[in-house]
Amino acid sequence: MSQQSFQATVARLVSDPDFRDRVQAQGEAALDSDLTPLERQRVLSIVADKGLAAARTLHKSFRLTKIYTMLPLTRALLGPDRLAREISAFWKASPCVSHYFLEESIAFCDFLQTRLGGGLRIKYLAEIVAYERANLELRRPRTGADAPAPQVVRFAHDPIPLLEQLLKGKRPRAIAARACILAGSLDQDGDVQWHISIDAA
Amino acid sequence: MKDLPPVPKLGIGLLYQEQLLPFIESQRACFDFLEVIPDLLWADLGDHQSPRYIENSQGIDLLQQLRAELPIVLHSIGLSIGSAYRFDRQHLAQIARWHEWLKFPWHSDHLAFILAAHGAVEINAGVTLPLPYDQETLDLLAPRVAAIRARLPVPFLLENNVYFFQYAQQDFDEAIFLNRLCDISGCRLLLDLHNLYTNSRNHHSDAYSFLDKLNLDHVLEIHVAGGMEVGGFYQDAHSDTSPPAVWELLDRVLPDCRNLGGVTFELLGSWYGDVGEDRLAAQLCRMRELWLRHQPTAQTEAQW
Repeated sequence: MSQQSFQATVARLVSDPDFRDRVQAQGEAALDSDLTPLERQRVLSIVADKGLAAARTLHKSFRLTKIYTMLPLTRALLGPDRLAREISAFWKASPCVSHYFLEESIAFCDFLQTRLGGGLRIKYLAEIVAYERANLELRRPRTGADAPAPQVVRFAHDPIPLLEQLLKGKRPRAIAARACILAGSLDQDGDVQWHISIDAA
Repeated sequence: MKDLPPVPKLGIGLLYQEQLLPFIESQRACFDFLEVIPDLLWADLGDHQSPRYIENSQGIDLLQQLRAELPIVLHSIGLSIGSAYRFDRQHLAQIARWHEWLKFPWHSDHLAFILAAHGAVEINAGVTLPLPYDQETLDLLAPRVAAIRARLPVPFLLENNVYFFQYAQQDFDEAIFLNRLCDISGCRLLLDLHNLYTNSRNHHSDAYSFLDKLNLDHVLEIHVAGGMEVGGFYQDAHSDTSPPAVWELLDRVLPDCRNLGGVTFELLGSWYGDVGEDRLAAQLCRMRELWLRHQPTAQTEAQW
């Protein structure tokens, strides 16, 4: 059992900065009781080792790459500082569980949508997160017979210039209000296709 | 468990990355086999899902085409063989299913743990965390390697790990631990010389002393790569061609690895644009020169 606890402790030191800080501040008092004296000594040695920061950097790169790669529009809209704050909050709430880019990126979209539901106000964010999440949902791995359900995203602003500007990495400016619906589905080649229509609702 | 026959001497390998496909198609003479990370060609939905693995059909089609032209070996990242809280038999079964159609001559994974469990939560560290070089770790690994060897009729290799911190008071040093692991479990080694270089550079240890102690008869494959300095540590980033020290290590070990099947270069696809076709070709060409100098009995594809 202590072998499991020891590995969990090492993994948390790398992945959870709050836990690392607690161990640095409190020493043995922050550790699980079932670690052996040698395992405790090793953990305290790691916490004092500069190599822990290098491992932590690798862990962060591993997680950041997923979101940077899969959510370019959300990334461009939020900008580096806000994105870093939201990712930091997301990581506190959600430990890394998957190797895969898509799964964690969808989880980050869900986190942002919860934040938006809780009062976060960032112009265009609700539309962009819904759009990128829908794109990922269409690309979610499935067995051959299981086609993805079409995705529908409502926009309150004209999606064409909005998406164009974000695709260029620019923060969007002067986007006209335009209620419309984007409907996404996969074509025969497995590529995502979007169709726009006026939102009469 | 019976001893396995020697692996074929395949020669020079290249780690498959999607971004390298133009190079793979146009520079076929530069390498003799491809190494594939199978976990990137399937999606693992987790051990409570059914089906757990959803395979990338385009990737499978490509592999089948490539398999008709040259040998392919598997280098997995998903087993986390050192995780104390579980041994992933479903992952092993998935590798075995792939062997049925891909017929790889050996397969490998990392001597590390990536997954750990804290209460009911599974943590994916995203990096290969080091295992203590203790008898307790050998006791954990030996039956797992035995299960792998019983499931697949080809050698299973474990790769020496990169570590950025070391554990105090370990029972063995790394080379002796690897020798014992191979002796008691029957696994073989994927000797990653860039990992060895990274560790020796970061921890000021002697890579040659490590090699002097290591039983090189266990080495069936060698990895070489390049990396970069980040935040005061040299990282095994697979971001460049190999530095001079790695070439010197390769020159040192190649004559003594009599059971070697191949030497593989690892480059992350996202760095291909920086490295470029010419430098990648030159890296592989230099590897071949050393291979031919020190491993003169290389087989052709038809022989394996």
